[in-house]
Amino acid sequence: MSPLRQGTLDSVAATKTSARDDLSRTVPTPIRTRLLKTIVGFGVLLVVTCVVAPLVGSSPLNFARVFDRSIPFSDNVDAQIFFIARMPRIVAGAIAGAALAAAGVVFQALLRNALATPFTLGVSAGASLGAMLAIVLGATISAGPFSAVPVASLGGAAIAAAIVYRLATMQDRAMSTTVLLLAGVTLNSFFSALIMFVQYIADFAQVYRAIRWIMGDLDVGSFDPIVAALPMMAIAFAMFAWLPSSLNLLSIGADAASARGVDVGRTQRLAFVSASLATAAAVSLAGPIGFIGIVVPHLVRLMVGVDHRLVLPASALFGAAFLVMCDLAARTLLAPLEIPVGVITAMLGGPFFLWLLVRKG
Amino acid sequence: MAAGSKRLIAVAFVLVVCWATRPAAMQQRTTSAVRIVSLVPALTEMLFAIGAGPQVIAISSYDEFPPEVTSLPRVGALLDPDMERILALRPDLVVSYGSQTDVQAQLARAKIRVFSYKHAGLAGVFTTLKDLGAAVGRPAESDNLARQIRTGLDAIQARVRGRPQPRTLLVFERDPASLRGVYVSGGVGFLHDMLGIAGGVNVFADVARESVQPSIETMLARAPEVILEVRATGLLAATDIAQARRVWGALGAVPAVKQGRIEILTGEHLVVPGPRVVQATAAFARALHPDVYK
Amino acid sequence: MLLASELSYGYSSARRNVRSFTLDHVSITVERGSLTGLLGPNGCGKTTLLNLLSGVLQPEHGHVSLNGAPLAGRTRRDIARHLAVVPQETHPAFDYTVMEMVLMGRHPHLGAFELEGPRDLALARDALAATGTEHLAGRAYMTLSGGEKQRVVIASALTQSPEVLLLDEPTASLDLGYQLEVAALLRRLNLERGVMMVLATHDLNLAASLCDRIILMRDGRVVAQGPTRDVLTAASIRRIYDVEADVSFHDAAGHVTVTPLRHVQ
Repeated sequence: MSPLRQGTLDSVAATKTSARDDLSRTVPTPIRTRLLKTIVGFGVLLVVTCVVAPLVGSSPLNFARVFDRSIPFSDNVDAQIFFIARMPRIVAGAIAGAALAAAGVVFQALLRNALATPFTLGVSAGASLGAMLAIVLGATISAGPFSAVPVASLGGAAIAAAIVYRLATMQDRAMSTTVLLLAGVTLNSFFSALIMFVQYIADFAQVYRAIRWIMGDLDVGSFDPIVAALPMMAIAFAMFAWLPSSLNLLSIGADAASARGVDVGRTQRLAFVSASLATAAAVSLAGPIGFIGIVVPHLVRLMVGVDHRLVLPASALFGAAFLVMCDLAARTLLAPLEIPVGVITAMLGGPFFLWLLVRKG
Repeated sequence: MAAGSKRLIAVAFVLVVCWATRPAAMQQRTTSAVRIVSLVPALTEMLFAIGAGPQVIAISSYDEFPPEVTSLPRVGALLDPDMERILALRPDLVVSYGSQTDVQAQLARAKIRVFSYKHAGLAGVFTTLKDLGAAVGRPAESDNLARQIRTGLDAIQARVRGRPQPRTLLVFERDPASLRGVYVSGGVGFLHDMLGIAGGVNVFADVARESVQPSIETMLARAPEVILEVRATGLLAATDIAQARRVWGALGAVPAVKQGRIEILTGEHLVVPGPRVVQATAAFARALHPDVYK
Repeated sequence: MLLASELSYGYSSARRNVRSFTLDHVSITVERGSLTGLLGPNGCGKTTLLNLLSGVLQPEHGHVSLNGAPLAGRTRRDIARHLAVVPQETHPAFDYTVMEMVLMGRHPHLGAFELEGPRDLALARDALAATGTEHLAGRAYMTLSGGEKQRVVIASALTQSPEVLLLDEPTASLDLGYQLEVAALLRRLNLERGVMMVLATHDLNLAASLCDRIILMRDGRVVAQGPTRDVLTAASIRRIYDVEADVSFHDAAGHVTVTPLRHVQ
């Protein structure tokens, strides 16, 4: 039992009799305090992770040289490794991790199922198809100075999300979770089939590159891709800010939420769009890294309870730290070779769920 | 004996003789093959180079050289060999990849001879040449070709002997506009071997893999003096070189970038471990040691 | 006063493109402080009527008004400040505690980013006390018994500080003991807090014991509405249920009881 939850139970258990006067002592830890503690706690974790991560890597660095301003940057290998190779990678990891974890929380609330992931509704399949096409046709199209892959994967994600949205809102303005799920699963299958076909007609190197992209890669090498993804992330997180209490009510049931004043259709649309946007941005930046969107929310719920006003910000912060740590493992365990970060998250995610199953049984 | 039974015995005798002298099933016997299907471009080149070109009746989807092959029917490649077409052509020898076990099993059932190609380093070119020559009944020609290749490579090696060997990043695949998805040669494989003969040192020689995807940090740390990009297809335009310089320019501390030693070579002969390895190695040498090849 | 005037609503069957069910010109009046029962056979339109009364569904004809102001055009949040719904079953998707569930009733009274404060907590505790569930505040909702769950849901609805409480089969999934418990609770809330209640139920005896007014429905129409003793008669029961029943005043229970005898065609 987490300290935060225990705090709630302790203060509630403090009441022994049912005398009304004693009730004034059974104040559960106010949400304000819990929110503060949660954000500070996970925030500190993220800060510590982001400070430590750039100090560790496959090459030993001389940190005196890294910060030595007297050496011209173009000659300072240590500084270049720190600021060109590692820093952008850590920032990208933090942003993608936060986005995927938060999107996971929102999709789980939208689909009323703790096993939903940011990829359940086909957004990542669309992104993968876009990336695949860019890789295979990449020699012929080049979007100027920008690599075609992130742009194409974003396009693919947008198309997939648009199709699912259209299908889910066809009946009426409120989305049916069943239709959402069916549309998402269908789209996943269809796009996966297209991906296989494109792989089949591509040559070896292209297929390998595509498969490698699907395993996830945070080695951005500069802040440009991050800056490009930032507007979408900002919009998505701004939308996330409006969701938590509505998601709580939605989790009780659509009619129950409506009866308590939630505009169910609007909340669902907001949730779908924001989570799809965050997922699309994260995938175009780093490829479809799995398990963040499901492991992080689960772990966070074990620690802070299920109130989305705590779970959403905590998942974003913890997701960021978690992905940065996974990437740290990915780039150091088998140095100079790199394990794709999606492999690391999968290797952690699988056993985690096994443990959950065993614990429940 | 009755006339009927005499005739019967005669017929039986003829049948037995025919059966006994039937052509034996072909299994790895070194006889000349008249109808060859080749799924491996490198071996197609070898076949043409040792004079077995006229016997080649079909080739893979990726064959480009020599020019005669473009008029031949194509029967697929590593992942998608068209078994129906192959069988319909009634070959007596099929050159396939060692990993295409199901193809080979099907061909064995059809009693068609198979030459199994095992991809190896530069040394593998020579052993494959020898075995292939034996399989098509041209051992003398293949020995000759092997000697020519050997001489060519030795000549290159001699030419660059004594020159300082630049630490080289041997790139064979890259995302056109960024440094994500860079694939370089590790310490094994024919690309690595050719680099060695051409007088270069592979910065990833310590990694015992043919293909390595280095991170940006690793490329910065290894600090190559020359970046040698090998592209199988496409012609080199000025914009390509400019783009390559800009993309690699992100790694400012790397000596190759600082000194502008980014060399791009194009041509499918560079990535085919066949008879043209000499041209490929010469191209490497020219890129690494321009002063020697003035 | 809750007023529904000439309400009509239809579900279209997409498959046959046919109106498969209708609510046809239904008018009902619920007086301040009353505890009204909504009775009728399956498919008569009870749940649809409740959904229309709460504003979850919009009628095709007619309107619903609360204290003179029509529901149409008001935001969900605004309606929820006056009107609460207790559904038949509540299945949260996540493992909320009782306190968290009850506090959700404050949602319509809080601003977009406002967290609940001491007053909201006080109201929640109040509602827990009123439903006899304050000792369950820290428990996980999903671990409660059926009766406890239903009382918590009622507490959550009470936290909305509503003038009107709409209940859909509140005792349907409860055993006898819990049925009596919840019934007593509802009566107490109605008397002590003056909350107007509309109760859709199958349980004729529950309605007889609890409700001062009854609305009888069949096939999407109101067959009768009025004081319990006047409306709940053998004749009306036969009319809407096709059931021959004995309806008589039970001295010990202190209210009319209905004993079904046989089904008639």
